[in-house]
Amino acid sequence: MRRLLFVVMISFGLMAANSYTQWFKPINDVFETIILPIHWVANIPARVSRWSSFRVADSADLQMENTRLAQENLIHRGQIQRMADLAAENLRLRLLLNATELFLDSVLVTEVIGVSPTPRRHTLVIDRGSEDGAYVGQPLLDAEGLMGQIISVYDSHSIALLITDSSHAIPVQVLRNGLRSIAEGTSNYNRLRLRFISSTADIRAGDSLVSSGLGERFPPGYPVGKVIAVTQVLGANFVDVEVEPTAQIDRSKHLLLVFTLDDVGVPGSLQ
Amino acid sequence: MKYSGITPAFVLSIFTALVLQLIPVSGDLIYWRPNFLLLIMIAWIIFKSDQRSIVFAASMGLLADLVFGSPLGVNILLFSLVGAVPLYFSGWLVYFTLAHRCLFVFLLVIFSELMSKFLFSIWQAPENYNYIFIVALVSSVVWPLFDILLRRIR
Repeated sequence: MRRLLFVVMISFGLMAANSYTQWFKPINDVFETIILPIHWVANIPARVSRWSSFRVADSADLQMENTRLAQENLIHRGQIQRMADLAAENLRLRLLLNATELFLDSVLVTEVIGVSPTPRRHTLVIDRGSEDGAYVGQPLLDAEGLMGQIISVYDSHSIALLITDSSHAIPVQVLRNGLRSIAEGTSNYNRLRLRFISSTADIRAGDSLVSSGLGERFPPGYPVGKVIAVTQVLGANFVDVEVEPTAQIDRSKHLLLVFTLDDVGVPGSLQ
Repeated sequence: MKYSGITPAFVLSIFTALVLQLIPVSGDLIYWRPNFLLLIMIAWIIFKSDQRSIVFAASMGLLADLVFGSPLGVNILLFSLVGAVPLYFSGWLVYFTLAHRCLFVFLLVIFSELMSKFLFSIWQAPENYNYIFIVALVSSVVWPLFDILLRRIR
């Protein structure tokens, strides 16, 4: 009983120290490096599953997939040509308006090597670290939209906080009319929340949200989510807005680290 | 000198629990995953209560804090309080039937989840209580594996 009381007191002391100081950060950093091989071992079933599904795939299926990918590639290349035209036009208009320079971001492909073992914390471990130029605060994308940002960087790996984590918030705007807000994580992989939206604001289900670039953490214009419900709470001055993230937060395996113009020259990044 | 009890079987069991805890699962499946570190701690306390004490429970809590990235001390407190229960009843628990031990684990996991939700709600957003029974149920379903394994080692 005395030991239990002692341990309880120690843990309360640790919790208090952890809340007000950064004393234990070096311990966490060392442990994150130690645990990396265990993440690798824990990933073996997923790797074996992918490898075996590739090995046992029928050649006809592979040919079909190859054809589909070639067609998708053709469509995307066509869209990129159109995008290049639009981007050039946009740049000309901005120059006419004397607006700020558009940033053309470059990206670095990265792979998820671990996920947070608890639903309480939405983090990922990725296989790029300071050796690859990753830095704290760097945005992370998947093929569909914004995923999150890097919060810890080590030599060969990093930890990213997802936009759905309850401690995360990202400035967004409605694509249709430019209405600005902040999308907060809810600890649910399929939901974000907009708070303090006026009940008279022009926002409705189906609206697309993109990053607004305010706060200078995330580059502007990347898809964040889609409004799925706007609920007026009786007697409240604000509406509850539920958003479904565009990115496949809990499924994407390969991601992109975004480098802005200041980071150009990073090894391996694609222009 | 007192026997420390750190045998290859002990190290292997902790490592396996760690790996099981870190296997990536997608979507809502993560809410169904039992806390393997907690289960292995309960198992060692029940079957080797002469070697495993509150200090062992606190050490497992420290490991859980580092693995889960939670504020240091939260899981130490949680694991110590949860570990104290089987430690107190360890003399009787080994003579229970497997079904009774499963029921005991079910109740202990509910206690642990309620404690954990309470502690984490101090730091973070309000917690979702919907999955407590599911986690407890899954934990009691996988418990026989831990039970049989540790009984053999014993």
